[in-house]
Amino acid sequence: MNAVDPTVRPGVNETFVLNLGPQHPAAHGVLRVKMTMDGEYVMRAEPVIGYIHRMHEKMGENRTWAQFLPNTGRIDYLSALHYNHAYVAAVERALKIEVPRRAEFLRVITSEMNRISSHLVWWSAYLIDLGGLTPLLYAFDDREKLLDLLEAVTGSRLTYTYFRFGGVYNDVDEAFVRGTRQFVREFRPRLKMYRDLVTTNIILRKRLEAIGPISAELCRKYGATGPVLRGAGVAYDVRRAEPYSVYPELEFEIPTRREGDSMARYLVHMAELEQSLRIIEQGLDKLPEGPVMGKVPRVLRPPAGDYCFAVEAARGRFMVRLVSDGKDVPYRVKLRTPSFSNLSLFEEASRGMILPDALALMGSLDLVIPDIDR
Amino acid sequence: METTVDTSRIVQFAKLDELLALSRANSLWPLTFGLACCAIEMMAAGGPRFDISRFGAEVFRPSPRQADLMIVAGTVNRKMAPAVKTLYDQMLEPKWVIAMGNCAISGGPFVFPGQYAVVEGVDKLFPVDVFIPGCPPRPEALLEGIMALEEKLTGKRRWPVVTPPK
Amino acid sequence: MNPTLDQLCDQFGRLVATGPSGSRPPSNPPAPDAPPAPIQRTEHAAKGYDLEVTVAPTAVVMAAEIMDRAGFALDAITGVDWIAQEQMEVVYDYFHPTAPGRVAVRTRVPRARPEVPTIAAVYPGANWHERETHDFFGLVFAGHPDLSPFLLPEDATFHPLRKDYQP
Repeated sequence: MNAVDPTVRPGVNETFVLNLGPQHPAAHGVLRVKMTMDGEYVMRAEPVIGYIHRMHEKMGENRTWAQFLPNTGRIDYLSALHYNHAYVAAVERALKIEVPRRAEFLRVITSEMNRISSHLVWWSAYLIDLGGLTPLLYAFDDREKLLDLLEAVTGSRLTYTYFRFGGVYNDVDEAFVRGTRQFVREFRPRLKMYRDLVTTNIILRKRLEAIGPISAELCRKYGATGPVLRGAGVAYDVRRAEPYSVYPELEFEIPTRREGDSMARYLVHMAELEQSLRIIEQGLDKLPEGPVMGKVPRVLRPPAGDYCFAVEAARGRFMVRLVSDGKDVPYRVKLRTPSFSNLSLFEEASRGMILPDALALMGSLDLVIPDIDR
Repeated sequence: METTVDTSRIVQFAKLDELLALSRANSLWPLTFGLACCAIEMMAAGGPRFDISRFGAEVFRPSPRQADLMIVAGTVNRKMAPAVKTLYDQMLEPKWVIAMGNCAISGGPFVFPGQYAVVEGVDKLFPVDVFIPGCPPRPEALLEGIMALEEKLTGKRRWPVVTPPK
Repeated sequence: MNPTLDQLCDQFGRLVATGPSGSRPPSNPPAPDAPPAPIQRTEHAAKGYDLEVTVAPTAVVMAAEIMDRAGFALDAITGVDWIAQEQMEVVYDYFHPTAPGRVAVRTRVPRARPEVPTIAAVYPGANWHERETHDFFGLVFAGHPDLSPFLLPEDATFHPLRKDYQP
């Protein structure tokens, strides 16, 4: 335990406040952390958020149900399709809209591709935080191949609005299926290269092993989910806890590690890449023929009441709670985002750590700041 | 026996201003100022496929004292606006600003009646040299914006604007 | 057949029947114009949660302790401004990391005095959720260590998600 021993210099308080951000290379966006430091040790790290608050929940009350769709892609832009999914599925739940099977499979395939591209960005940014600038060049090369495939189908590279109430708006063609299978074939050897070059690298291991332990109980008290919770030994995945879409028909594991340190969270992320590849392969194998849009009423007026839907986004559990009063504009849209809960435990988890270790911990939480601020 | 030497192949003369403009245009050092989604496309522009370092601009500096180009990539918030202005003031002259993305140009998709948090365009805070529309703009659009800025500095484009065939 | 949810129904039943006033136990058969029963099992496929409990504002801490003892984690705290009924609603969503079951605990307060006790002592994660809800609605969480603006600028005095908010 690397806490400062107060008996060494009793009665002396030489702490100072160090401000990290809101513009900082390791801040992953506009996060400000007010750190009370004793030398290099962090006594208290208080995150200050709101620098990219973009009023998504207020816009939910000012937009029709369909007009809110582009917002969902911009809450967490790295895994936009998951956020699309939660919102359209919540409205489909309210209106009891049936989604055709082909559309469900396309949703799952594209969502898992989005999960891979999100994890690749996380990996690049995390390694940059730790001082390794090269993995970004490799990861972004792989990511571009994914983005080419997704762009051909959805029209966007980053902030997708591909899902619609009742299905998806564009069908995929042979070129997409061929290209995705080729990507899966080419990505597995790259994963092995990442493991050999980076994961087993002694510098990375020294930076991450035993750094920033987060227990399962701490996660439960703060509501942390995703790789943070799975790295603490709890095999919680919304795809298995509250199954949705066609995930029950697909075989995949929930990677879990018991150590709870930053290395555990890192390894969970890397293992999820392989599981996503498995899901994509199975999805392509089982992709049925058929329409990609179901029957949707002309005017959307969900019955009064509230409806929830949760998905396993790249960062953890994303839940939408919609309150409808029967009108064509939502009464309340509540967005429960994973990064908000994951960051809330940072203050307690980082006490007594030295600053570089605290940043290694923060990077392993996989934060996207607009996801926190909404 | 005398041989004629074409000195223009060995020595070139130009005005100092033009030389300075050329060197500044070809070595713009951007400030790492990714705020939101556009930041990812800015990172992709620095990646291997789009390769911003062809234009001398891959040296993203975290400190405003060492940067001469501020690429505002993302939404500027009313809470963030003082920090953005401070960063702009801390940059040394000569400095340039690229507003990347719809949010930096005009507030983007987050402007609605009753909005309370977004600054409608970063040019409300300080002057902007190049506007790059898009939500988010493609990395190629960012590179085109950098070339437009180079044209603004030197008066010449690196290569002509591509007009799509009719 | 979910033993966790059945146990929760029992414990909430005792809380609702003997707890602070504000909700009366359901009559059998329910009166035609009675408000919905305080404890309701819901269909997950239709609503997204399995159990819905309505408690008085003074009972939210005991409800949070029941959920904590049962091993649930706090999902979200949602504020809703029912301006037409002059009430504000607070919904606490809970999920369980290792067992199935999604629970929503609701409470309503008068809009003129929107005060709810804080559950931050039970769930430290509620600290941030309550601070954000205060930002948006002006709901005061009594006992909260720090209700200063969180998502809004530090000097903000407005509550934007109230239905009568004018910028």
